[in-house]
Amino acid sequence: MDPVLGRTIERWRDGDRNAFQEVVDRYGLKVLRTARLILRDEALAEDATQDTFLKAWRQIGSLRDEEPGPWLNRIATNEAISTYRRRHRFQALAERFGRLSGSKRNVPTEARMDLARALDQLKPDQRAAIALHYYQDLSVEDAARALGIPVDTMKSRLKTALRRLRELTGSEEEIA
Amino acid sequence: MSDKFERELRDYLHKEAARTPQFPRSLRSRIVDGVAPQTRGRIASQLALAGGLVLVAVVALGLRNSTVVINSVHSAIQAVLPTPSPNPTPSLPAFSCTPVSGGTTGLSTGLNSVRSARHDGYDRVVFQFASGIPSYDVVGQDSSTFIKDASGQPVSLDGTAGVKVILRSTDAAASSQDSQPKLQAVRQVAQVGNFEHQLTYGVSLGTATCFRVTDLSNPARLVIDFDTSKPSATASLAPKPAPTSPPSSAPSSLTPFTCTDLSGGTASSPPAQLTAIRIAHQAAGYDRIVFEFAGGPVPSYTLTRQASTHFVKDASGQPVTLQGSSGLKLVFHGAAGYPTYTGSTDQKPGLPVVQEVEQIGDFEGVLSWGIGLSQQSCMRTLELTGPTRLVIDVQTP
Repeated sequence: MDPVLGRTIERWRDGDRNAFQEVVDRYGLKVLRTARLILRDEALAEDATQDTFLKAWRQIGSLRDEEPGPWLNRIATNEAISTYRRRHRFQALAERFGRLSGSKRNVPTEARMDLARALDQLKPDQRAAIALHYYQDLSVEDAARALGIPVDTMKSRLKTALRRLRELTGSEEEIA
Repeated sequence: MSDKFERELRDYLHKEAARTPQFPRSLRSRIVDGVAPQTRGRIASQLALAGGLVLVAVVALGLRNSTVVINSVHSAIQAVLPTPSPNPTPSLPAFSCTPVSGGTTGLSTGLNSVRSARHDGYDRVVFQFASGIPSYDVVGQDSSTFIKDASGQPVSLDGTAGVKVILRSTDAAASSQDSQPKLQAVRQVAQVGNFEHQLTYGVSLGTATCFRVTDLSNPARLVIDFDTSKPSATASLAPKPAPTSPPSSAPSSLTPFTCTDLSGGTASSPPAQLTAIRIAHQAAGYDRIVFEFAGGPVPSYTLTRQASTHFVKDASGQPVTLQGSSGLKLVFHGAAGYPTYTGSTDQKPGLPVVQEVEQIGDFEGVLSWGIGLSQQSCMRTLELTGPTRLVIDVQTP
Protein backbone atom coordinates (compact mmCIF):
# COMPACT_ATOMS: atom_id res chain seq x y z
CA MET A 1 0.00 0.00 0.00
CA ASP A 2 1.06 3.57 -0.71
CA PRO A 3 2.79 4.66 2.55
CA VAL A 4 1.02 8.04 2.56
CA LEU A 5 -2.33 6.27 2.24
CA GLY A 6 -1.23 3.82 4.93
CA ARG A 7 -0.59 6.69 7.35
CA THR A 8 -3.96 8.21 6.46
CA ILE A 9 -5.66 4.93 7.29
CA GLU A 10 -3.82 4.74 10.61
CA ARG A 11 -5.00 8.24 11.48
CA TRP A 12 -8.51 7.21 10.50
CA ARG A 13 -8.26 4.20 12.82
CA ASP A 14 -7.41 6.64 15.60
CA GLY A 15 -10.63 8.52 14.92
CA ASP A 16 -9.13 11.40 12.91
CA ARG A 17 -12.00 12.84 10.88
CA ASN A 18 -9.62 14.74 8.62
CA ALA A 19 -8.05 11.44 7.59
CA PHE A 20 -11.51 10.02 6.95
CA GLN A 21 -12.30 13.07 4.83
CA GLU A 22 -9.16 12.42 2.77
CA VAL A 23 -10.39 8.90 2.08
CA VAL A 24 -13.83 10.23 1.10
CA ASP A 25 -12.14 12.67 -1.29
CA ARG A 26 -9.99 9.93 -2.77
CA TYR A 27 -12.64 7.26 -3.32
CA GLY A 28 -15.94 9.16 -3.16
CA LEU A 29 -16.42 9.86 -6.85
CA LYS A 30 -15.72 6.27 -7.87
CA VAL A 31 -18.10 4.94 -5.24
CA LEU A 32 -20.80 7.43 -6.29
CA ARG A 33 -20.45 6.64 -9.98
CA THR A 34 -20.57 2.90 -9.36
CA ALA A 35 -23.65 3.27 -7.15
CA ARG A 36 -25.29 5.37 -9.85
CA LEU A 37 -24.63 2.71 -12.47
CA ILE A 38 -26.20 0.10 -10.22
CA LEU A 39 -29.13 2.16 -8.98
CA ARG A 40 -29.80 4.23 -12.14
CA ASP A 41 -30.85 7.12 -9.90
CA GLU A 42 -28.75 10.06 -8.76
CA ALA A 43 -30.45 10.69 -5.42
CA LEU A 44 -30.48 7.02 -4.44
CA ALA A 45 -26.83 6.74 -5.47
CA GLU A 46 -25.94 9.64 -3.17
CA ASP A 47 -27.81 7.97 -0.31
CA ALA A 48 -26.01 4.68 -0.93
CA THR A 49 -22.66 6.49 -1.07
CA GLN A 50 -23.37 8.26 2.20
CA ASP A 51 -24.37 4.95 3.84
CA THR A 52 -21.24 3.33 2.43
CA PHE A 53 -18.87 5.79 4.04
CA LEU A 54 -20.76 5.95 7.30
CA LYS A 55 -20.64 2.17 7.50
CA ALA A 56 -16.95 2.26 6.61
CA TRP A 57 -16.32 4.77 9.42
CA ARG A 58 -18.02 2.48 11.92
CA GLN A 59 -16.35 -0.68 10.61
CA ILE A 60 -12.79 0.55 10.13
CA GLY A 61 -11.72 -2.25 12.44
CA SER A 62 -12.63 -4.78 9.75
CA LEU A 63 -10.16 -3.25 7.27
CA ARG A 64 -7.03 -5.33 7.41
CA ASP A 65 -3.65 -4.15 6.22
CA GLU A 66 -4.86 -3.68 2.67
CA GLU A 67 -5.86 -1.04 0.13
CA PRO A 68 -9.19 0.41 1.23
CA GLY A 69 -10.46 0.58 -2.39
CA PRO A 70 -11.69 -3.04 -2.72
CA TRP A 71 -13.02 -2.97 0.85
CA LEU A 72 -15.04 0.19 0.10
CA ASN A 73 -16.17 -1.36 -3.19
CA ARG A 74 -17.52 -4.32 -1.29
CA ILE A 75 -19.49 -2.11 1.10
CA ALA A 76 -20.67 0.17 -1.71
CA THR A 77 -22.01 -2.55 -3.99
CA ASN A 78 -23.82 -4.21 -1.08
CA GLU A 79 -25.28 -0.87 -0.03
CA ALA A 80 -26.40 -0.06 -3.58
CA ILE A 81 -28.08 -3.43 -4.03
CA SER A 82 -29.77 -3.15 -0.61
CA THR A 83 -30.90 0.38 -1.39
CA TYR A 84 -32.40 -0.78 -4.67
CA ARG A 85 -34.21 -3.67 -3.01
CA ARG A 86 -35.58 -1.47 -0.22
CA ARG A 87 -36.82 1.04 -2.77
CA HIS A 88 -38.22 -1.71 -4.98
CA ARG A 89 -40.12 -3.23 -2.08
CA PHE A 90 -41.81 0.08 -1.31
CA GLN A 91 -42.65 0.69 -4.96
CA ALA A 92 -44.10 -2.78 -5.32
CA LEU A 93 -46.30 -2.21 -2.30
CA ALA A 94 -47.39 1.18 -3.54
CA GLU A 95 -48.14 -0.15 -6.99
CA ARG A 96 -50.19 -2.96 -5.51
CA PHE A 97 -52.44 -0.31 -4.01
CA GLY A 98 -52.55 1.53 -7.31
CA ARG A 99 -50.97 4.70 -5.99
CA LEU A 100 -47.91 4.75 -8.18
CA SER A 101 -49.28 3.01 -11.21
CA GLY A 102 -48.38 6.02 -13.33
CA SER A 103 -44.74 5.73 -12.40
CA LYS A 104 -44.45 2.05 -13.15
CA ARG A 105 -41.70 1.44 -15.62
CA ASN A 106 -43.05 0.38 -18.94
CA VAL A 107 -40.96 -1.78 -21.18
CA PRO A 108 -40.75 0.03 -24.51
CA THR A 109 -42.43 -1.76 -27.32
CA GLU A 110 -39.61 -1.20 -29.77
CA ALA A 111 -37.79 -4.37 -30.66
CA ARG A 112 -34.47 -2.73 -30.06
CA MET A 113 -33.79 -0.74 -26.92
CA ASP A 114 -30.84 1.49 -26.30
CA LEU A 115 -28.31 0.38 -23.72
CA ALA A 116 -29.64 2.73 -21.03
CA ARG A 117 -33.08 1.19 -21.09
CA ALA A 118 -31.70 -2.30 -21.43
CA LEU A 119 -29.58 -1.79 -18.29
CA ASP A 120 -32.73 -0.67 -16.46
CA GLN A 121 -34.19 -4.09 -17.10
CA LEU A 122 -31.37 -5.97 -15.36
CA LYS A 123 -31.45 -7.05 -11.74
CA PRO A 124 -29.35 -4.86 -9.43
CA ASP A 125 -26.84 -7.61 -8.73
CA GLN A 126 -26.39 -8.10 -12.48
CA ARG A 127 -25.83 -4.36 -12.92
CA ALA A 128 -23.32 -4.49 -10.07
CA ALA A 129 -21.42 -7.24 -11.87
CA ILE A 130 -21.50 -5.25 -15.11
CA ALA A 131 -20.40 -2.03 -13.39
CA LEU A 132 -17.48 -3.64 -11.59
CA HIS A 133 -16.21 -5.52 -14.62
CA TYR A 134 -16.89 -3.08 -17.45
CA TYR A 135 -16.75 0.28 -15.70
CA GLN A 136 -14.21 -0.31 -12.96
CA ASP A 137 -12.35 -2.76 -15.22
CA LEU A 138 -11.95 -5.24 -12.35
CA SER A 139 -11.02 -8.76 -13.28
CA VAL A 140 -13.70 -11.39 -12.82
CA GLU A 141 -11.85 -12.58 -9.71
CA ASP A 142 -11.61 -9.11 -8.14
CA ALA A 143 -15.22 -8.31 -9.01
CA ALA A 144 -16.30 -11.60 -7.41
CA ARG A 145 -14.33 -10.65 -4.30
CA ALA A 146 -16.00 -7.24 -4.18
CA LEU A 147 -19.43 -8.81 -4.43
CA GLY A 148 -18.55 -11.55 -1.98
CA ILE A 149 -19.51 -14.35 -4.38
CA PRO A 150 -17.60 -17.30 -5.87
CA VAL A 151 -15.76 -16.67 -9.15
CA ASP A 152 -17.97 -19.15 -11.01
CA THR A 153 -21.09 -17.33 -9.81
CA MET A 154 -19.60 -14.08 -11.00
CA LYS A 155 -18.86 -15.57 -14.41
CA SER A 156 -22.38 -16.91 -14.68
CA ARG A 157 -23.90 -13.60 -13.54
CA LEU A 158 -21.89 -11.65 -16.10
CA LYS A 159 -22.80 -14.09 -18.85
CA THR A 160 -26.51 -13.92 -18.01
CA ALA A 161 -26.45 -10.14 -17.82
CA LEU A 162 -24.65 -9.82 -21.15
CA ARG A 163 -27.02 -12.25 -22.83
CA ARG A 164 -30.00 -10.26 -21.54
CA LEU A 165 -28.49 -6.97 -22.72
CA ARG A 166 -27.87 -8.45 -26.15
CA GLU A 167 -31.43 -9.71 -26.34
CA LEU A 168 -32.88 -6.38 -25.31
CA THR A 169 -30.73 -4.34 -27.65
CA GLY A 170 -30.96 -6.78 -30.53
CA SER A 171 -27.17 -7.18 -30.66
CA GLU A 172 -25.76 -10.35 -32.14
CA GLU A 173 -22.92 -12.16 -30.42
CA GLU A 174 -19.80 -12.18 -32.57
CA ILE A 175 -18.76 -15.66 -33.65
CA ALA A 176 -15.02 -15.89 -33.24
CA MET B 1 -11.74 -11.47 -25.55
CA SER B 2 -14.34 -8.73 -25.63
CA ASP B 3 -16.41 -8.27 -28.75
CA LYS B 4 -17.89 -5.14 -30.27
CA PHE B 5 -20.91 -5.20 -27.99
CA GLU B 6 -18.78 -5.41 -24.86
CA ARG B 7 -16.66 -2.50 -26.09
CA GLU B 8 -19.82 -0.50 -26.70
CA LEU B 9 -21.05 -1.40 -23.24
CA ARG B 10 -17.75 -0.34 -21.66
CA ASP B 11 -17.80 2.97 -23.56
CA TYR B 12 -21.38 3.58 -22.59
CA LEU B 13 -20.74 2.94 -18.88
CA HIS B 14 -17.75 5.27 -18.87
CA LYS B 15 -19.75 7.99 -20.61
CA GLU B 16 -22.63 7.58 -18.22
CA ALA B 17 -20.28 7.66 -15.24
CA ALA B 18 -18.72 10.85 -16.60
CA ARG B 19 -22.10 12.51 -16.31
CA THR B 20 -21.24 12.77 -12.62
CA PRO B 21 -18.17 14.97 -13.15
CA GLN B 22 -17.25 15.53 -9.53
CA PHE B 23 -18.09 14.47 -6.03
CA PRO B 24 -20.81 16.83 -4.76
CA ARG B 25 -19.62 19.05 -1.93
CA SER B 26 -22.97 18.73 -0.21
CA LEU B 27 -22.63 14.95 -0.16
CA ARG B 28 -19.10 15.22 1.22
CA SER B 29 -20.39 17.45 4.01
CA ARG B 30 -23.26 15.08 4.74
CA ILE B 31 -20.84 12.20 5.11
CA VAL B 32 -18.16 13.95 7.14
CA ASP B 33 -20.68 15.71 9.39
CA GLY B 34 -22.43 12.40 9.91
CA VAL B 35 -19.59 10.68 11.70
CA ALA B 36 -19.13 10.89 15.44
CA PRO B 37 -15.92 12.59 16.58
CA GLN B 38 -14.89 9.58 18.69
CA THR B 39 -14.28 6.03 17.67
CA ARG B 40 -14.48 2.86 19.66
CA GLY B 41 -10.72 2.56 19.40
CA ARG B 42 -10.14 5.90 21.05
CA ILE B 43 -12.74 5.29 23.73
CA ALA B 44 -11.21 1.87 24.34
CA SER B 45 -7.77 3.38 24.83
CA GLN B 46 -9.22 5.97 27.22
CA LEU B 47 -10.96 3.21 29.16
CA ALA B 48 -7.64 1.36 29.35
CA LEU B 49 -5.98 4.51 30.65
CA ALA B 50 -8.78 4.99 33.17
CA GLY B 51 -8.37 1.41 34.28
CA GLY B 52 -4.67 1.98 34.76
CA LEU B 53 -5.33 5.02 36.90
CA VAL B 54 -7.81 3.03 38.93
CA LEU B 55 -5.11 0.47 39.69
CA VAL B 56 -2.65 3.22 40.61
CA ALA B 57 -5.24 4.76 42.93
CA VAL B 58 -5.90 1.43 44.57
CA VAL B 59 -2.24 0.73 45.11
CA ALA B 60 -1.49 4.25 46.38
CA LEU B 61 -4.32 4.42 48.87
CA GLY B 62 -4.50 0.79 49.81
CA LEU B 63 -7.55 -0.28 51.66
CA ARG B 64 -7.26 2.35 54.42
CA ASN B 65 -10.44 4.12 53.56
CA SER B 66 -12.81 2.67 51.05
CA THR B 67 -14.63 5.98 50.55
CA VAL B 68 -11.40 7.71 49.60
CA VAL B 69 -10.62 4.91 47.18
CA ILE B 70 -14.00 5.11 45.52
CA ASN B 71 -13.79 8.90 45.23
CA SER B 72 -10.31 8.67 43.75
CA VAL B 73 -11.45 6.10 41.25
CA HIS B 74 -14.43 8.23 40.32
CA SER B 75 -12.27 11.33 39.89
CA ALA B 76 -9.73 9.44 37.81
CA ILE B 77 -12.37 8.15 35.45
CA GLN B 78 -14.03 11.56 35.22
CA ALA B 79 -10.71 13.18 34.40
CA VAL B 80 -9.96 10.81 31.53
CA LEU B 81 -13.25 9.93 29.93
CA PRO B 82 -14.85 12.45 27.61
CA THR B 83 -17.93 14.28 28.77
CA PRO B 84 -20.87 12.01 28.14
CA SER B 85 -22.83 12.92 25.06
CA PRO B 86 -26.32 14.25 25.61
CA ASN B 87 -29.10 11.74 25.99
CA PRO B 88 -30.05 10.70 22.45
CA THR B 89 -33.74 10.75 23.33
CA PRO B 90 -35.03 14.04 21.99
CA SER B 91 -36.31 16.40 24.64
CA LEU B 92 -39.87 17.34 23.91
CA PRO B 93 -40.47 20.93 22.88
CA ALA B 94 -43.01 23.09 24.68
CA PHE B 95 -46.57 23.24 23.45
CA SER B 96 -47.23 26.18 21.18
CA CYS B 97 -50.03 27.48 18.98
CA THR B 98 -47.74 28.69 16.19
CA PRO B 99 -47.06 26.90 12.88
CA VAL B 100 -44.14 24.47 12.78
CA SER B 101 -42.08 23.46 9.73
CA GLY B 102 -39.37 20.87 9.44
CA GLY B 103 -38.26 17.65 7.80
CA THR B 104 -35.79 17.21 4.97
CA THR B 105 -36.33 19.33 1.89
CA GLY B 106 -36.18 17.26 -1.28
CA LEU B 107 -36.51 13.93 0.51
CA SER B 108 -38.99 11.70 -1.26
CA THR B 109 -40.73 9.09 0.85
CA GLY B 110 -43.93 7.17 1.44
CA LEU B 111 -46.43 7.53 4.24
CA ASN B 112 -46.90 4.10 5.78
CA SER B 113 -49.41 4.75 8.51
CA VAL B 114 -51.27 7.37 10.52
CA ARG B 115 -52.16 6.62 14.14
CA SER B 116 -53.62 8.52 17.04
CA ALA B 117 -53.90 7.76 20.73
CA ARG B 118 -54.61 9.38 24.06
CA HIS B 119 -51.76 9.87 26.53
CA ASP B 120 -51.53 11.41 29.96
CA GLY B 121 -51.69 15.13 29.28
CA TYR B 122 -51.83 15.02 25.52
CA ASP B 123 -53.39 13.37 22.47
CA ARG B 124 -50.82 12.07 19.99
CA VAL B 125 -51.08 11.74 16.21
CA VAL B 126 -48.23 9.89 14.49
CA PHE B 127 -47.35 9.90 10.79
CA GLN B 128 -44.96 7.04 10.02
CA PHE B 129 -42.84 7.08 6.85
CA ALA B 130 -41.02 4.51 4.79
CA SER B 131 -37.71 6.37 4.86
CA GLY B 132 -36.96 9.69 6.49
CA ILE B 133 -39.21 12.58 7.36
CA PRO B 134 -40.16 14.73 4.38
CA SER B 135 -40.43 18.49 4.38
CA TYR B 136 -43.58 19.36 6.33
CA ASP B 137 -45.71 22.18 7.70
CA VAL B 138 -48.05 21.89 10.67
CA VAL B 139 -50.39 24.86 10.69
CA GLY B 140 -53.26 25.49 13.08
CA GLN B 141 -56.59 27.04 12.14
CA ASP B 142 -59.67 28.24 13.98
CA SER B 143 -61.98 26.01 12.01
CA SER B 144 -62.40 22.31 11.34
CA THR B 145 -63.12 22.90 7.65
CA PHE B 146 -60.25 22.21 5.28
CA ILE B 147 -59.91 23.02 1.59
CA LYS B 148 -59.08 20.05 -0.64
CA ASP B 149 -55.97 20.51 -2.71
CA ALA B 150 -56.49 20.85 -6.46
CA SER B 151 -60.28 20.70 -6.40
CA GLY B 152 -60.69 23.53 -3.89
CA GLN B 153 -63.69 21.80 -2.33
CA PRO B 154 -64.29 22.31 1.39
CA VAL B 155 -64.15 19.31 3.73
CA SER B 156 -65.79 19.75 7.11
CA LEU B 157 -64.57 17.55 9.92
CA ASP B 158 -65.91 17.08 13.42
CA GLY B 159 -64.87 19.84 15.86
CA THR B 160 -64.36 23.58 16.06
CA ALA B 161 -60.68 23.97 15.22
CA GLY B 162 -57.99 22.08 13.36
CA VAL B 163 -54.43 21.59 12.30
CA LYS B 164 -53.37 21.13 8.71
CA VAL B 165 -50.39 18.83 8.11
CA ILE B 166 -48.67 19.22 4.75
CA LEU B 167 -46.21 16.48 3.74
CA ARG B 168 -44.16 17.28 0.62
CA SER B 169 -42.69 14.74 -1.79
CA THR B 170 -44.71 12.03 -0.10
CA ASP B 171 -46.80 9.26 -1.57
CA ALA B 172 -49.43 7.39 0.38
CA ALA B 173 -48.46 3.72 0.37
CA ALA B 174 -51.87 2.52 1.39
CA SER B 175 -55.35 3.92 1.90
CA SER B 176 -55.89 7.46 3.12
CA GLN B 177 -56.16 6.05 6.68
CA ASP B 178 -58.84 8.47 7.82
CA SER B 179 -59.98 7.93 11.39
CA GLN B 180 -62.32 9.35 13.98
CA PRO B 181 -60.53 8.62 17.26
CA LYS B 182 -62.72 11.10 19.21
CA LEU B 183 -60.05 11.67 21.83
CA GLN B 184 -60.08 14.48 24.34
CA ALA B 185 -58.67 16.96 21.81
CA VAL B 186 -58.34 15.12 18.50
CA ARG B 187 -61.71 14.38 16.94
CA GLN B 188 -60.92 13.30 13.41
CA VAL B 189 -57.91 12.75 11.13
CA ALA B 190 -58.57 12.83 7.38
CA GLN B 191 -56.60 13.12 4.19
CA VAL B 192 -57.65 16.37 2.52
CA GLY B 193 -55.14 16.37 -0.32
CA ASN B 194 -53.11 13.98 -2.43
CA PHE B 195 -51.83 16.11 -5.23
CA GLU B 196 -48.53 15.88 -7.05
CA HIS B 197 -46.63 13.98 -4.37
CA GLN B 198 -47.95 16.29 -1.69
CA LEU B 199 -50.16 14.78 0.98
CA THR B 200 -52.28 16.99 3.18
CA TYR B 201 -54.03 15.82 6.31
CA GLY B 202 -56.55 17.66 8.40
CA VAL B 203 -56.64 16.99 12.14
CA SER B 204 -59.84 18.37 13.63
CA LEU B 205 -59.99 19.38 17.28
CA GLY B 206 -62.87 19.70 19.76
CA THR B 207 -61.54 23.10 20.79
CA ALA B 208 -58.47 25.11 19.75
CA THR B 209 -55.55 23.24 21.33
CA CYS B 210 -51.86 24.07 21.25
CA PHE B 211 -49.47 21.41 20.00
CA ARG B 212 -45.84 20.36 19.80
CA VAL B 213 -44.11 18.59 16.93
CA THR B 214 -41.30 16.03 17.26
CA ASP B 215 -39.33 14.15 14.62
CA LEU B 216 -38.43 10.59 15.58
CA SER B 217 -36.31 8.01 13.76
CA ASN B 218 -36.24 4.20 13.47
CA PRO B 219 -38.82 4.21 12.06
CA ALA B 220 -39.15 7.73 10.73
CA ARG B 221 -42.12 9.41 12.40
CA LEU B 222 -43.61 12.86 12.61
CA VAL B 223 -45.30 13.10 16.00
CA ILE B 224 -47.82 15.80 16.85
CA ASP B 225 -48.96 16.06 20.47
CA PHE B 226 -52.02 18.13 21.38
CA ASP B 227 -52.01 19.59 24.88
CA THR B 228 -54.89 18.26 26.98
CA SER B 229 -53.41 19.22 30.36
CA LYS B 230 -55.07 22.61 30.57
CA PRO B 231 -58.17 24.23 29.15
CA SER B 232 -57.52 26.22 26.04
CA ALA B 233 -60.75 28.06 25.53
CA THR B 234 -58.89 31.25 24.74
CA ALA B 235 -56.29 29.69 22.46
CA SER B 236 -56.29 30.63 18.83
CA LEU B 237 -54.59 28.42 16.30
CA ALA B 238 -54.85 30.72 13.30
CA PRO B 239 -51.35 31.88 12.34
CA LYS B 240 -51.02 35.59 13.04
CA PRO B 241 -48.11 36.81 10.93
CA ALA B 242 -47.82 35.79 7.32
CA PRO B 243 -45.49 32.80 6.98
CA THR B 244 -41.98 33.68 5.90
CA SER B 245 -42.03 31.03 3.21
CA PRO B 246 -44.89 29.73 1.14
CA PRO B 247 -46.37 26.79 3.01
CA SER B 248 -47.11 24.85 -0.12
CA SER B 249 -46.19 24.80 -3.76
CA ALA B 250 -49.69 23.71 -4.68
CA PRO B 251 -51.51 26.42 -6.56
CA SER B 252 -53.90 28.34 -4.35
CA SER B 253 -55.94 29.37 -7.37
CA LEU B 254 -55.83 27.83 -10.80
CA THR B 255 -55.41 30.02 -13.84
CA PRO B 256 -58.30 30.07 -16.36
CA PHE B 257 -58.24 27.88 -19.45
CA THR B 258 -57.19 29.56 -22.66
CA CYS B 259 -57.53 28.53 -26.31
CA THR B 260 -54.20 29.99 -27.45
CA ASP B 261 -50.66 28.69 -27.61
CA LEU B 262 -48.77 28.95 -24.32
CA SER B 263 -45.17 29.40 -23.31
CA GLY B 264 -43.21 29.93 -20.12
CA GLY B 265 -40.46 28.49 -17.98
CA THR B 266 -36.96 29.74 -17.37
CA ALA B 267 -33.83 29.34 -19.48
CA SER B 268 -31.96 26.44 -17.93
CA SER B 269 -28.30 25.54 -18.05
CA PRO B 270 -27.26 22.76 -17.66
CA PRO B 271 -30.33 21.07 -19.13
CA ALA B 272 -33.12 20.27 -16.70
CA GLN B 273 -33.54 16.52 -16.39
CA LEU B 274 -36.97 15.03 -16.90
CA THR B 275 -37.70 12.34 -14.31
CA ALA B 276 -41.37 11.43 -14.65
CA ILE B 277 -44.55 11.96 -16.60
CA ARG B 278 -47.99 11.39 -15.14
CA ILE B 279 -51.31 11.57 -16.95
CA ALA B 280 -54.74 11.41 -15.35
CA HIS B 281 -58.26 12.68 -15.70
CA GLN B 282 -59.47 15.05 -12.99
CA ALA B 283 -63.12 15.06 -12.00
CA ALA B 284 -63.13 18.87 -12.05
CA GLY B 285 -63.28 18.72 -15.84
CA TYR B 286 -59.83 18.37 -17.31
CA ASP B 287 -57.14 15.86 -18.27
CA ARG B 288 -53.84 16.57 -16.56
CA ILE B 289 -50.34 15.84 -17.84
CA VAL B 290 -47.44 16.44 -15.47
CA PHE B 291 -43.82 16.67 -16.54
CA GLU B 292 -41.54 16.39 -13.52
CA PHE B 293 -37.90 17.49 -13.47
CA ALA B 294 -35.01 16.68 -11.17
CA GLY B 295 -34.60 20.22 -9.89
CA GLY B 296 -34.22 23.89 -10.70
CA PRO B 297 -36.95 25.91 -12.35
CA VAL B 298 -39.28 24.59 -15.04
CA PRO B 299 -37.24 24.87 -18.24
CA SER B 300 -38.27 27.22 -21.03
CA TYR B 301 -41.16 25.69 -22.98
CA THR B 302 -43.67 26.30 -25.76
CA LEU B 303 -47.00 24.52 -26.05
CA THR B 304 -48.39 24.84 -29.56
CA ARG B 305 -51.77 23.67 -30.80
CA GLN B 306 -52.14 22.00 -34.18
CA ALA B 307 -55.07 20.70 -36.22
CA SER B 308 -53.67 17.21 -36.73
CA THR B 309 -51.87 14.50 -34.80
CA HIS B 310 -48.99 14.32 -37.29
CA PHE B 311 -45.58 15.10 -35.84
CA VAL B 312 -42.05 14.82 -37.16
CA LYS B 313 -39.48 13.16 -34.94
CA ASP B 314 -36.45 15.31 -34.14
CA ALA B 315 -33.12 14.14 -35.47
CA SER B 316 -34.48 11.25 -37.55
CA GLY B 317 -37.12 13.32 -39.39
CA GLN B 318 -39.47 10.34 -39.36
CA PRO B 319 -43.20 11.18 -39.40
CA VAL B 320 -45.32 9.88 -36.56
CA THR B 321 -49.10 9.97 -36.18
CA LEU B 322 -50.65 9.82 -32.74
CA GLN B 323 -54.14 8.76 -31.74
CA GLY B 324 -56.80 11.46 -31.87
CA SER B 325 -57.80 14.22 -34.25
CA SER B 326 -55.79 17.23 -33.11
CA GLY B 327 -52.59 17.75 -31.26
CA LEU B 328 -50.37 19.75 -28.98
CA LYS B 329 -46.64 20.03 -29.42
CA LEU B 330 -44.66 20.64 -26.26
CA VAL B 331 -41.06 21.71 -26.71
CA PHE B 332 -38.68 22.28 -23.79
CA HIS B 333 -35.46 24.17 -24.45
CA GLY B 334 -32.61 23.37 -22.09
CA ALA B 335 -34.05 20.03 -21.03
CA ALA B 336 -33.30 16.35 -21.52
CA GLY B 337 -35.00 13.08 -20.78
CA TYR B 338 -31.92 10.93 -21.08
CA PRO B 339 -30.79 9.28 -18.81
CA THR B 340 -33.12 10.28 -15.95
CA TYR B 341 -36.46 9.56 -17.54
CA THR B 342 -37.00 5.81 -17.57
CA GLY B 343 -40.73 5.65 -18.11
CA SER B 344 -42.57 4.96 -21.32
CA THR B 345 -41.90 7.28 -24.25
CA ASP B 346 -45.28 6.48 -25.76
CA GLN B 347 -48.27 6.45 -23.44
CA LYS B 348 -51.87 5.91 -24.50
CA PRO B 349 -53.92 6.82 -21.44
CA GLY B 350 -57.23 6.89 -23.34
CA LEU B 351 -58.64 9.79 -21.31
CA PRO B 352 -61.64 11.85 -22.42
CA VAL B 353 -59.42 14.20 -24.44
CA VAL B 354 -55.77 13.16 -24.04
CA GLN B 355 -55.36 10.06 -26.18
CA GLU B 356 -51.63 9.64 -26.59
CA VAL B 357 -48.42 11.27 -25.33
CA GLU B 358 -45.24 10.39 -27.19
CA GLN B 359 -41.70 11.67 -27.09
CA ILE B 360 -40.74 13.03 -30.47
CA GLY B 361 -37.29 14.30 -29.66
CA ASP B 362 -34.54 14.39 -27.03
CA PHE B 363 -31.56 15.87 -28.74
CA GLU B 364 -29.02 18.56 -27.89
CA GLY B 365 -30.96 19.99 -24.98
CA VAL B 366 -34.28 20.16 -26.83
CA LEU B 367 -36.92 17.82 -25.47
CA SER B 368 -40.14 17.48 -27.49
CA TRP B 369 -43.35 15.62 -26.83
CA GLY B 370 -46.42 15.27 -29.00
CA ILE B 371 -49.87 15.03 -27.46
CA GLY B 372 -52.78 13.53 -29.40
CA LEU B 373 -56.23 14.87 -28.46
CA SER B 374 -59.67 13.53 -29.28
CA GLN B 375 -60.80 17.10 -30.00
CA GLN B 376 -59.41 20.62 -29.95
CA SER B 377 -59.53 21.86 -26.38
CA CYS B 378 -58.54 24.83 -24.32
CA MET B 379 -55.75 24.42 -21.82
CA ARG B 380 -53.73 25.98 -19.04
CA THR B 381 -50.27 25.41 -17.62
CA LEU B 382 -48.96 25.57 -14.07
CA GLU B 383 -45.34 25.73 -13.01
CA LEU B 384 -44.82 24.09 -9.63
CA THR B 385 -41.83 23.57 -7.38
CA GLY B 386 -40.81 20.97 -4.83
CA PRO B 387 -40.47 18.92 -7.04
CA THR B 388 -40.19 20.95 -10.22
CA ARG B 389 -43.18 20.29 -12.47
CA LEU B 390 -44.92 21.64 -15.51
CA VAL B 391 -48.61 20.79 -15.30
CA ILE B 392 -50.73 20.91 -18.44
CA ASP B 393 -54.48 20.78 -17.97
CA VAL B 394 -56.55 20.09 -21.07
CA GLN B 395 -60.23 20.93 -20.71
CA THR B 396 -62.66 18.05 -21.17
CA PRO B 397 -66.29 18.32 -22.38
